[in-house]
Amino acid sequence: MSSVSESSKPVPAKRKLAAKPHLVQDKVFFGVARAAAVGAVGIVGLILAYLLFMSWETLAKQGFNFIFGSQWTAADPENMIFQIGPMLWGSLLIAFNGVILAVPMAIAAAYFIEFLATSRIAKIATTVVDLLAAIPSIVIGLWGVGVFTPVAAHWAELLNQNLGFLPLFKNEAGSFVGSPFIAGWIVAVMIVPIITSVTREIFSQLDRDVINAATALGASRSSTFMKVILPTSSGGIVGGVLLGLGRALGETVAIFFVLNLSFEINWVDVIEGRGGSIASMIVAFFGAATPEEVKALIAAGLVLFVITLLINWLAAVIVAKAQPWRK
Amino acid sequence: MSDLSNAANLSTIEAHLRSEDVNVWFGERHVLRDVSLTFPVNQVTALIGPSGCGKSTFLRTLNRMHELIPSAGFAGRILLDGEDIYEPGVDPTNVRLKIGMVFQKPNPFPTMSIKENVLSGLKLSGRRGYDATEIVETSLRRASIWNEVKDRLGDPATSLSGGQQQRLCIARSLAMNPEVILMDEPCSALDPGSTRRIEETIEELSETMTIVIVTHNMQQAQRVSHQTAFFLAEDGNPGGVVEFGKTEDVFNNPIDLRTNDYVNGHFG
Amino acid sequence: MSEQQTATTSLPRPDQSPWQVRDSRKTRNLVLASVLPAIVSAAIALGMNIDATIAMLLIFVPLQLVSAGFVGYRIFGRKGIADASLVIFTIFFSALVGVLLFSVLFSVITEGAKAISPQFFLQNNVYITSTTSLEYGGVGHAVLGTFIIVGLTTLVTVPLGIALAVYLTETPSKARGAVRTLVQAMSGLPSVVAGLFVYAALISTGFTKYAGWLGSLALIPLMLPTITRVAEEALRLVPVELRNGALALGAPSYRAFFQVTLPAAKSGIITAVLLGIARIIGETAPLLLTVNYANNTVLNPLESMAALPTYIYQNLDSANDTSLQRAWGAALVVLIFVGIIFTAARLATRPKTAKQKVDKNV
Repeated sequence: MSSVSESSKPVPAKRKLAAKPHLVQDKVFFGVARAAAVGAVGIVGLILAYLLFMSWETLAKQGFNFIFGSQWTAADPENMIFQIGPMLWGSLLIAFNGVILAVPMAIAAAYFIEFLATSRIAKIATTVVDLLAAIPSIVIGLWGVGVFTPVAAHWAELLNQNLGFLPLFKNEAGSFVGSPFIAGWIVAVMIVPIITSVTREIFSQLDRDVINAATALGASRSSTFMKVILPTSSGGIVGGVLLGLGRALGETVAIFFVLNLSFEINWVDVIEGRGGSIASMIVAFFGAATPEEVKALIAAGLVLFVITLLINWLAAVIVAKAQPWRK
Repeated sequence: MSDLSNAANLSTIEAHLRSEDVNVWFGERHVLRDVSLTFPVNQVTALIGPSGCGKSTFLRTLNRMHELIPSAGFAGRILLDGEDIYEPGVDPTNVRLKIGMVFQKPNPFPTMSIKENVLSGLKLSGRRGYDATEIVETSLRRASIWNEVKDRLGDPATSLSGGQQQRLCIARSLAMNPEVILMDEPCSALDPGSTRRIEETIEELSETMTIVIVTHNMQQAQRVSHQTAFFLAEDGNPGGVVEFGKTEDVFNNPIDLRTNDYVNGHFG
Repeated sequence: MSEQQTATTSLPRPDQSPWQVRDSRKTRNLVLASVLPAIVSAAIALGMNIDATIAMLLIFVPLQLVSAGFVGYRIFGRKGIADASLVIFTIFFSALVGVLLFSVLFSVITEGAKAISPQFFLQNNVYITSTTSLEYGGVGHAVLGTFIIVGLTTLVTVPLGIALAVYLTETPSKARGAVRTLVQAMSGLPSVVAGLFVYAALISTGFTKYAGWLGSLALIPLMLPTITRVAEEALRLVPVELRNGALALGAPSYRAFFQVTLPAAKSGIITAVLLGIARIIGETAPLLLTVNYANNTVLNPLESMAALPTYIYQNLDSANDTSLQRAWGAALVVLIFVGIIFTAARLATRPKTAKQKVDKNV
């Protein structure tokens, strides 16, 4: 059979067609959209650039000790030392604490909503999770101070009494209030909805045929969960956890009220009443800060921003990879 | 092209819309090669061929809807009354005012009433100073749906059945009074009764306008069209026209063996 | 079938008959699996005066696991044990989420209700010290301040967010993926850093003093990602056929957008705005750094103003019983606003979207 286009004519040159706006109004319309995109990129760039510009002096003067040291003295104008080691480590410790507490709750809630509950109960549970996400952090902080701290301090005391032989649960200071453990719980309450909703979305997009196939092969609920559901959605869950981690690192006022800030590094004594948090430190110090101290606080904010930016970017990439249908 | 000897029979009729050596690409993929067809005034042309042969793509080049797809590439000329619509400086929206389009799936605007849907084209193109009542009635009558909807013009368009929605979409195009209407498998989502009514509408419309219709339905092509073009894409080669001529010739007397096989249902 | 046929594997066939239900007494199983562990552990805890937390973790949960596993075994055989543990763990942790939320809501409502009265909404905080009786003073100034600050942010961010969503859905630009990732990364911007940025750029440089509009400025990058994401999803839900239908009628893109796409996405866009407001209405840290707080009623955004979150902060910070009570009251007011926004968003999404309507009739 001969080809359709057997003509000997050479293939003409291709013109790229693009739906270019012709009318002035259309040009304005698309121009505004493009300007918004440039603006959004600009906002992030501007914030980053300005923070970098402002913190340059501090970073140059303090060097690597800015991150690793644990001294903060603005008293002597000749020798001001700004080091955020305990705060940075505290932020990470609290965030990890929160994530460890939040992940089982979030995965359980997502599994409950998607696979266990009837559709009516699932709807109610979804509302509960969404509602939890909508509660402002200052309200959670208030609850943390007024209601939760005594309860969690009691839990911490029990842990200390019964598992005190573990380094994690020793407490030499004697106070159980204001610990990274309590701050971790507060953060967990705030990031459970984030991780739940990402996980739930991943679960709901799982191929039901695969799950049904597993069931048809005689797999039980638990083996379907462990061998089919978890492995296929692990990427998305990790992304959701990273999103939660980013949020946890940036949490400010709620932690400010429940945590006892201390410039002595607290490595793992999570139930001891001292810890650190960059975000809380900024709120605590900026009011009475000297100009140099403000610059140091900005440098601390920059460090926090860069960390959360990296984590969120990573999370966005992972979530996007895990949800190819979004494209 | 050597296969197009039937086209000689058509040369006496006044050409209204004409494609000259149209080539189409999606990105690097060459999907249509050297399509040259003539669409005479007030005639219905059917484009037939198996799925993926590029006939719908070709249809979309005729009113510059093709370029809405990112990475679209094009070469050749499309002449409406002798003017190339791909000439730089031609505003595609003006082309689409003259060459209307009806899609495969009925797509009335869900937020508008029946009446607003008919007038939507005029509003969307910023036309002013028209007699709305008259245009609504005429357009709906020409799309033979007036009697069904005249008492409920304020109802949402989505309250209509699928077939009615498609005729509403035809009315919406007719309200713009285009010279040409392109129809992309307008009946593929409809039941036989609705299909029949739309075919009747096409017949009536062809008295006043040029129509190009893509269809998978051989009977439909024979019932409604005056001339037929058979498209085919073989083994990864770009698609093209195998045979083009009067509908009775293409169906009863095809020159090319492949046309014969296709119209007799041997493949596709 | 006793003989192995050549076509099958050497694996022995399951000996269990599918129709054989081992134990069908449902009620008894239910009691065994749920009520019994609760009663037993409650009895042990009360009888031996054990701490409630320990009783919950060390007696109730294991007991529940054992009994559910037992029932699972009775019904499904061995695999029932693992299934039962999975279900118990799921319900336990899910319930924990519910308990936490309930605790927050319950304490805010009961404690807040004590502070709330008509005058609490109408009065401001002038002449109020941390020990002043609850009969005087209120959050009227803070409510107005929040309205103005959040309103200004909304005024700027909504058009910006929708324009961004248009960029992401309506233009063929290749940079879309990068812009989308960046906007989503912006949602991770710590709110305190947003506040610090404005503070460092405009206040500590002496350009201006604390002012309401600075707060609005700091809230923009926090609100933008939410609005953009939800609006983008709403626009994406509008079927491409509608857009093409409008363009095929000779519509310029901007008219196709404003007259066809946007109306079809209306409920989604409203949701985007509401969720955006809910996202920032309780933000505290950025306002602390940029607006500070005022005790009198200030309506001029060029000056320092009051806002609900900073009012809570202020009262929580002074750590006195009455001021704590005021903080609870203000928290209840914030939650009421969040609840209203939340309900409105639910109502806005309730009417079927354009897509569903079209599909139904095809």
